[in-house]
Amino acid sequence: MIELNGLTKRFGRVTAVDDLSFTVRPGRVTGFLGPNGAGKTTTMRLILGLDVPTSGTALVGGRRYRQLIRPLRQVGSLLDATAVHGARTAYDHLLSVAVSNGIRRSRVPEVLELAGLDSVAAHRIRGFSLGMKHRLGIAAALLGEPPVLMFDEPVNGLDADGVRWVRQLLRQLAANGHTVLVSSHLMGEMALTADHLIVIGRGKLIADVPTQSLTRSSGRADVLVRSPRASELAELLTARGAAVTPEPNGGLAVTGMHAPAIADLAAAHGIAVHELVPRQPSLEQAYLDLTAESTEYRATSTAAGAEAGS
Amino acid sequence: MTAVASRTGQRVVPSLAARARDVLVFEWVKLRSVRSNYVTLLLAAMATIGATAVVAQTIASTRAAPPAALTGVTVSFLGYAEYGVIPVSVLAVLQFTSEYTTGLIRTTFCAVPRRWAVLAGKAAITGGAALVAGEVLAFICFFLTQALLSGRHRGVSLTQPGVPGAVLAGGFVLCACALTALSLGAIIRHTAGAIAAALAAIYGLAVLCMVLPEPWRYDTGRFTMPFAAFQVLTMHPQPDLLSPAVSMLVLAAWPAAALLAAGLVITTRDAG
Repeated sequence: MIELNGLTKRFGRVTAVDDLSFTVRPGRVTGFLGPNGAGKTTTMRLILGLDVPTSGTALVGGRRYRQLIRPLRQVGSLLDATAVHGARTAYDHLLSVAVSNGIRRSRVPEVLELAGLDSVAAHRIRGFSLGMKHRLGIAAALLGEPPVLMFDEPVNGLDADGVRWVRQLLRQLAANGHTVLVSSHLMGEMALTADHLIVIGRGKLIADVPTQSLTRSSGRADVLVRSPRASELAELLTARGAAVTPEPNGGLAVTGMHAPAIADLAAAHGIAVHELVPRQPSLEQAYLDLTAESTEYRATSTAAGAEAGS
Repeated sequence: MTAVASRTGQRVVPSLAARARDVLVFEWVKLRSVRSNYVTLLLAAMATIGATAVVAQTIASTRAAPPAALTGVTVSFLGYAEYGVIPVSVLAVLQFTSEYTTGLIRTTFCAVPRRWAVLAGKAAITGGAALVAGEVLAFICFFLTQALLSGRHRGVSLTQPGVPGAVLAGGFVLCACALTALSLGAIIRHTAGAIAAALAAIYGLAVLCMVLPEPWRYDTGRFTMPFAAFQVLTMHPQPDLLSPAVSMLVLAAWPAAALLAAGLVITTRDAG
């Protein structure tokens, strides 16, 4: 469990993290979302005790990171996969990390195999691709078998295979009761991986909600209609109270009327319909709406509602 | 995949000694797993031995007797003072700056959040390695020089009073320089800047003192590392410098002060 309480970090006049409070619970993947520069990495650095907060606290398992004894057995993290010494072999890098926290040496080949790096264990990291460095970083995070895991943009720059591997790993860790916090600026990726979302913008909390409710709450569902007599149909729909927006490619985006009613209306007037697609609002759109709000510094009813509900 | 799953229920608090050993082994594995560290050390040793041989041979083949300051043990360290000290100091600087420039320092601080312990661990391993390398090299330089000088009856023997202490002090000088350099690496974080600062601290200040007018030249110069080192390595201490015993303290004070400053800086500053 990770608990943030009024966490704030200022760099001179810039407030990178602004009074952030949330709890990351075990047993699910929590996505940590925000546009670039929103303060995700700074928040993670504060949790890891790398930076000192201006005010507020970040607790892992009820304690500040800097007070943890053999912390890698409690928190595994990957902030920057390229932050390694290229002259070391993958094995030696992991060995150094293992011995630093009294982790048994036999754990090193285990995580190498888990990350699919056993064949390059004796190679120097200098020659690794970005994807391999990601795997190495994740292997290092798993060394101490910690209950809490934190990854900063773990799929950035990975190929499809790597992305799938990370996604499966995160889901598996959560299923096994780990606390998993994963940052990303890509909503699409989080939609596939995360059960719960924490969205920040300009260092402030915007939303702390289950992934599903974010789509529901945005309420922009519509129906795409395509017809050879589009303008005629649009008039009929508008007359019955639906809102019709023409799309660039000739379709009509209809809100305020469900697909069956639209089909019945068209049939009643003998208008052919070539396409009729009910559309759920995308998480991507919901995310953009949320973060757009953050630029205006508006208060967040979403966040408050979610906290009350959980 | 199943191996990920198991959660350790370990709640046993390891002893302070166990945690200290963790940090020492951590730094030792990091030091020994970078091949260029060995290469640099080997090249430094070869350059030192080569330079020492040239100096000794030159003095041995000079008809006129050398000045008293350049006799006995001191001659053994003329090559060592540059070709041994500079590469080892650079290696020591890199122990911190290579971690800051690659970002590995964040992994280190995540593994060992008590940053004093990181500094102490690095100081123990780097300082220990420099001390061992320094003593080995000091004795090699001594025996090589005396072997070349003995033909001219200008050599000294290890059995003469004061000689073993002076040779042993040679290794300590290297350790003191390495620890000063290591600390400056921690404070400055950038390799080039830290190397410049280390060389300035180790050599530059002494050179600067030499251009001062007469009363201040040695009054200030005697507190610099080269003059202090000269006093502990020679069998003929200069009267206008500090005594060998006090000079030894000066040699210890430099790394002590540098380590203290480094400790204060890295514990209060955000990780790089």
